[in-house]
Amino acid sequence: MEVAKPVLEFIAPMVPGEIFPYFFTMEMFQRALVAAVLVTLVAGVLGSFLLVRNLALIGDGLAHVSFGGVAVGVVLGASSPLWYALVFSVVSAILIHELQTRELLTGDASIAIFLTGMLALGLVVLRVFGGGITSDIEGYLFGSLLLIDEESLDLIATISIVSLISLMLLYSGLLSTTIDPLAARVQGLPVRAIGLVFSIITAAVVVSMVQVIGALLVTALLVTPAATGGLIGRSFRSCLIWAQIFGLSSVFLGLYLSAEYDSGSGAMIALVAASIFAAVAIMQIVWKTIIRPSDNWN
Amino acid sequence: MVVLNMQPQTGSGLRPDLMPILKVKDLSVSRSGKLVIYGINLEVFKGEFIGLVGPNGSGKSTLLLAILGVLKAQQGTVSLYGHRPMSRNILGKIGWVSQAAAVMPKNVRITVRELIQLGTLTSRNMFFPRKAIHRQRVENAIKMVGLEDVADNDIVHLSGGQRQRAVIGRALASNSQFILLDEPLVGIDRDSRNALLKLLDRLCHEEDKTILMVSHDLAAIRQTAHRMIYLEETIRFDGPTEEFPDLTTLAGLRGIEPVHGHTHEHTTPVNVDAPNDGEEEGEKEEE
Repeated sequence: MEVAKPVLEFIAPMVPGEIFPYFFTMEMFQRALVAAVLVTLVAGVLGSFLLVRNLALIGDGLAHVSFGGVAVGVVLGASSPLWYALVFSVVSAILIHELQTRELLTGDASIAIFLTGMLALGLVVLRVFGGGITSDIEGYLFGSLLLIDEESLDLIATISIVSLISLMLLYSGLLSTTIDPLAARVQGLPVRAIGLVFSIITAAVVVSMVQVIGALLVTALLVTPAATGGLIGRSFRSCLIWAQIFGLSSVFLGLYLSAEYDSGSGAMIALVAASIFAAVAIMQIVWKTIIRPSDNWN
Repeated sequence: MVVLNMQPQTGSGLRPDLMPILKVKDLSVSRSGKLVIYGINLEVFKGEFIGLVGPNGSGKSTLLLAILGVLKAQQGTVSLYGHRPMSRNILGKIGWVSQAAAVMPKNVRITVRELIQLGTLTSRNMFFPRKAIHRQRVENAIKMVGLEDVADNDIVHLSGGQRQRAVIGRALASNSQFILLDEPLVGIDRDSRNALLKLLDRLCHEEDKTILMVSHDLAAIRQTAHRMIYLEETIRFDGPTEEFPDLTTLAGLRGIEPVHGHTHEHTTPVNVDAPNDGEEEGEKEEE
């Protein structure tokens, strides 16, 4: 925060809108903005790998698992229920990975089972031992950027930075095991260990996103910008860069619109991300069918 | 049980002066509780180009996976350069070329150069790939497979043949000496197939690589390989290509007897070669 503060305050005078500039000047808003930017940066990289590994829905699954963890944490009176979400999410991710690699369950079946099982646990615990779905709990479902306190920001920042560094270090190994796991194994790469670490990183990043955008909307930042990048990029590296551009654009535009029109920040970010995807996809279709119909690139 | 009409010949007689780089002894492998291959004895020598043929489900891929060490032997041993498969001592010496048409993910945007660069990765340099050091190796591999003009193109936009060349380039970038290929001719048009076979022949003769290639395209592989292995649960033939039996004898090896009183080679129900299959697929793809 100490590093980001002067930068945000320097930018503040150039920012449009009546309320949006508070994100650059007031500490509570600044925390929200820093958390949103950090999770977006790591989500762009993670999402690009999730897409090529055909795991787009694991983010959604682990977000629901995290919500179950949050519910248990709230009922147990935890000051930061995200820690409970982290334990739930990481353990589930490891088990899902093992079920898939040991071929005990194929495809998304293991994700579906954990998603519904853990969500149900959370809902039952809330109903029986807690006060049901309160506004606090709703914040974790749809995102509650402005309720991010110092402790949550520390956790989000730590997860984001550690995950981003890990993904950068694993970049080539992950790409190799994604493209052709057998060839990677023959080269001597620890394919299984890479898959396991990737699952743990995914679980942790999803938890860091729950408060920022909401458990129900995690996929919007995890998958949508990466998918939009995939429409434009011509190499894996360029897809990653485009994913960051689209992710950050969605966050800034989403926060601006939600601040100015008083709509939920998580939902607005998700809506902007989906709109950008739709706009890029339509432009691609127009380009291919009307402007350059002879070009058979897909 | 298939009736043997012909005694298997051993390929080891081809290069008696050298130590084998691959030695398979009395190998049996089961998959899902079912014995897929048994009694495999095989020796491969440096510089050989071997075609491994056999009908669908005959155990060709199982044999390759057992040689690589991905599948465990139920019985028998596999030795590569005198070491066990997957041993640290042979890392980088073995190259695996999968069937690009089946294996390469369709939803990944990756350039030929990015793909070939992945060939230089090992468990030691995985976290910090030394791209500068390996650049020359990558450029050489791109050149060897003839993809200089499309090196920075997304592989999705390449033809089936070019994509397969890119996968071979990945194996070459690892500097591997012994290259195993699984059905690389599937989904490739006729011209690309011929060019691909020429490339493999050049790798064998000029770069001194050893090649073991699984293919169902008997006509194509017979033009290139020095030695042929016919596998159907066990090795039914292993010898120089020129001695590879004709279709009628092959049918006999498989225990298939003529249904009518006379035998026409072209009507013999042997599906090991399906020499036109690849062509048809390739032509379809071109359309």
